[in-house]
Amino acid sequence: MVTGYTGKILRVDLTNEKTSTEPTNMDWAKKFIGGKGLGAKYLFEELKPGVDPLSPDNVLMIWTGPLVGTMVPLTSRYVVITKSPLSGTFLDTYAGGYFGPELKYAGFDAVIVKGKAKRPVYIYANDGNAELRDAKNVWGKDMVKTEEILRKEVGQKFARVAGIGQAGEKLSRIAGVTSDITRNAGRGGAGAVFGSKNLKAVVASGSLGVEVPKIDEFVEMAKQMLWKDVVGNPDHEGLITDGTPIIVKMSQDAAILPTNNWHSGQFDGHEGIDSAALKERVYVRKKACFSCGIACGSFARVRDGMFKGSVTEGPEYETLGLAGSNCGIRNIEAIVKFAEECDRLCLDTISAGAAVGFAMDIYEKGIITKEDTGGLDLKFGNEEAYAKMPELIAERKTRIGDLLAEGTLIAARKIGKDTEKLVIHSKGSEYPAYDPRGSIGMALAYATSDRGADHNRAWPVAGDAYGDGDPWSTEGKAATCHDEQTLKSYKWSMIFCDFYGVSAANQAMFLNAVTGMPADEHWLKEVGERVWNLVRAFNVREGFSRKDDTMPERMATEPLPSGKTQGKTVRPEDFEKMLDEYYQLWGWDDQGRPTKATLEKSGLGDIIPNLPYLK
Amino acid sequence: MSKPLKAQVENCTGCQLCALICSATHVGKFEPKQSRIGVEDLFPEPGEFKLNFCIHCEEHPCVESCPAEAIKLNEKLGIYYVDKEACTGCGACVDACPYNGCWMDPSGSYSIKCDLCGGKPQCVEVCPKKVLSWDGE
Repeated sequence: MVTGYTGKILRVDLTNEKTSTEPTNMDWAKKFIGGKGLGAKYLFEELKPGVDPLSPDNVLMIWTGPLVGTMVPLTSRYVVITKSPLSGTFLDTYAGGYFGPELKYAGFDAVIVKGKAKRPVYIYANDGNAELRDAKNVWGKDMVKTEEILRKEVGQKFARVAGIGQAGEKLSRIAGVTSDITRNAGRGGAGAVFGSKNLKAVVASGSLGVEVPKIDEFVEMAKQMLWKDVVGNPDHEGLITDGTPIIVKMSQDAAILPTNNWHSGQFDGHEGIDSAALKERVYVRKKACFSCGIACGSFARVRDGMFKGSVTEGPEYETLGLAGSNCGIRNIEAIVKFAEECDRLCLDTISAGAAVGFAMDIYEKGIITKEDTGGLDLKFGNEEAYAKMPELIAERKTRIGDLLAEGTLIAARKIGKDTEKLVIHSKGSEYPAYDPRGSIGMALAYATSDRGADHNRAWPVAGDAYGDGDPWSTEGKAATCHDEQTLKSYKWSMIFCDFYGVSAANQAMFLNAVTGMPADEHWLKEVGERVWNLVRAFNVREGFSRKDDTMPERMATEPLPSGKTQGKTVRPEDFEKMLDEYYQLWGWDDQGRPTKATLEKSGLGDIIPNLPYLK
Repeated sequence: MSKPLKAQVENCTGCQLCALICSATHVGKFEPKQSRIGVEDLFPEPGEFKLNFCIHCEEHPCVESCPAEAIKLNEKLGIYYVDKEACTGCGACVDACPYNGCWMDPSGSYSIKCDLCGGKPQCVEVCPKKVLSWDGE
């Protein structure tokens, strides 16, 4: 018997306003675990290729994993899985906090939503039951108010809510899903998929709990691992003392900190937005997700000035980079305000920050004017104008707000005038805050990320720009991407947080203790390869191939101006070399498509008939 | 009277590991609502955590309020605990406690409160920020 799962999936047919439950497919669970892997399997089987992500035909899922809700450290996460309206690819976007465990305590491994409701609704899952409820009291409201109102409506003080603000309701392709006020499944436009279905939120509340075998032994083991492998793990030191803002200074020193829409890798105002500034000026307290002994999050509040009273958790490094230096913003207080607005309205801070940086760039170049910005003087560093941008985007106010709501790439295509060259993205997903011109492996990581440009699938920058390796050598970069993508694919199927530096052997030990599955390092690696190949096959079926695994032209043509990266670019021939090597490592053809042999070797032979390119 | 748990709540990060181990210890599964220590996250305002647990107060109004005499003395520790079998689930103790120290089990059939795990409080052993302490025996 497999344990750790609730064994139940909640199905929601919004078109007919019906809910039902069914058993979790445990044959699939034994091959794909849960979270990313199992969700990818369900999406591959249930989504027709070529569907418009914002049409009723898209499938929207929220998945937990077998470790979620237990005492295994750093396993609080849930993942929203769907087809991305931003990149058109497979999308898996994660959030910590408390919602994931609560969904399991409410009795469900996953919620799978199809169709479109005739009116705004929300899903209420409670102790194995579920119902659809009218969302008229919260439609049009932000997620802080929505959470408060829905908890009262369901009469559960400790209910957890994952939902969308105005950005998702207005179908912004950079809208995320927010839970626990400050935790965001931000990337890829999952919030717009909610909005397109007239789905405001999922509310979970339950007391069914999660059972594991031999719980006394299990608790002892989890306790020991907490002290030894989490609190006492030297790899976690920076996360415990500072959290991700510590990276601002590392990126500034390595000259890869995106600045003024990627025109520089160094920012002369970095001291106003780094970890020291955060601690000194806005820090209130450390905040952890469920079951986490690290507590990387900082709850922050602005103490005085124009943004007095603004609160957020973080801001995290990606926000400090994209919505900070990349917009020329010199004060942490302004970024707290921007992040608060993005939390509330449910916008992804990476995409929103990148979009605003882009808008500032074309404003300074005179391509857009105050007529487009509603009178805002949208220069780099203008905090007052900058802080108004999330609302303009989420509410689609002003021409520029309405354009940027589509994501930076579509906005640029509509604006024309060669502005597409100024968009730094892969597959329409805006780059996170590590400039590949000072770590060329990141160009490969972004190009091959399954959901469009992303730093959370592979992070070669750790070994070169932040470590001892050569940031401009192609050597080993393809292998790093391959290995890390494999690792992340199984780690996020259980679901562990990215920040737990847990060994494969220990992950296997935890999975085995919770589920009884025969996990060891080799078994996990096989699962990881299977999941990544499946997701790649999904993307190939959607029409993606080598032609889409690209980097923006500016990475090759515009050298960085200062510091360690002065004069540096990513040479196209280096990029292509890494890509060739990468495809070979994965056993894909020269167009980046998994071959029959590779799929069969990964235990995916059954999907071959569903892949027209293999006929 | 035995000493209660102590908490430096200003250092609490809201991870709920205390509630997880408490539920595992008392009901054999992971379910914070069946924990004898409750973590409330009060965000965005006032922006802090609140920890609820029985402080084993001197006056113990819960004991006085119980019509079933279900709150009994653990003589070894000198604290009162809820005898689940004897409890009728009336909720009088929950109303009587001025410290939010006890509450109803989600089943609604009995009340629950801290029993110091019989002298080895598990929450103390697992609190990663050492917010919780117990200097009892």
